[in-house]
Amino acid sequence: MATTTIRVVIADDHPVVRVGLRNMLQADPSIRVVGEARDGVEALDLARSLRPDVLLLDLAMPNVAGMEALREMTAGNLDTRTIVLTGLIEKRQVLEALQLGARGVVLKDAAVEHLSACIRAVMQGQYWLEGRPVQNLVQVLRDLTAQTAPAPRKTFGLTARELEVVALITEGCTNKDIAKTFGISEETVKRHLTNIFNKLGVGNRLELALFALNHNLLPVGEGQ
Amino acid sequence: MPGTETPLTAEVFDQLRQAMAADRAGFTELYREYLADAWHTLEVLKEAAPNRFEEIRQKAHYLKSSSLVLGAGTVARLAGTLEDKARTSVSTDRNALDRIEDALREVQAELAKRLGNGVIPADKSAA
Repeated sequence: MATTTIRVVIADDHPVVRVGLRNMLQADPSIRVVGEARDGVEALDLARSLRPDVLLLDLAMPNVAGMEALREMTAGNLDTRTIVLTGLIEKRQVLEALQLGARGVVLKDAAVEHLSACIRAVMQGQYWLEGRPVQNLVQVLRDLTAQTAPAPRKTFGLTARELEVVALITEGCTNKDIAKTFGISEETVKRHLTNIFNKLGVGNRLELALFALNHNLLPVGEGQ
Repeated sequence: MPGTETPLTAEVFDQLRQAMAADRAGFTELYREYLADAWHTLEVLKEAAPNRFEEIRQKAHYLKSSSLVLGAGTVARLAGTLEDKARTSVSTDRNALDRIEDALREVQAELAKRLGNGVIPADKSAA
């Protein structure tokens, strides 16, 4: 039975890495390296001109970084299946890569062991993560989403209104400003502040602002 | 990957040698190129230390990348640490670079043992 050769493009800025990977893959008669790219721009150009079956994509490349190249590949509707090659990857990056259309992730120190198998698995329509084909992508995505979700904000017993007051204090608002914002009296603001100071064990507004920043007490988007 | 770290991961070296069995000269040349490039990168890192963070980050990543693929595990780990520190603007101290240099010497000595002293010099001076 005739077998189809899998055409592969390697994209990595390091020439030794490219040579090493090419040589590894040459040992597999079902795989042929048809191009090599030194950066994200070249990777996209080669993907468009050579239409390889598989693109091996380093995430940290000059010009267009790997994740951005992946985004453009997906937007360009290319049939090429992308496998991310990386030294180390965080779960949120794995999730992002999968969401952007990557079909597999291979760590560079495991390339000799896994790369050929990963390429063949991906060509058979499977996904590849953590050194093996993924049986249930939905479950993997669900797990990754759960693992990468931000930890719930710790509130140290502050009420919703007290948290709002803290947010305004860190913006530099006076008691008068806060009273006006919430339509309450300055006396009430002072009472809120006393409660906040007691609950957090801080002694003044500066300490409060620092505590809020250090303990992620502000709503997302503030204090960045 | 094995739990015990060695300068050169035997599995990676052996599998790569097997994959390149038809091109022994190319295999040796690959490691010679790796060493020459790694020593050069280390010199660039020394010049960039302690505070040219972006340059340190890029070069450390570069060194980590080839070291991972060719099985130089200790160099890869140390370069990765350097990369992470540079990313968060933590100054590079001289000891970190000395540790990479030591690890690279060990890789070179190991390669000289495996490939022959005449092919890969046992010390940096002749690399």
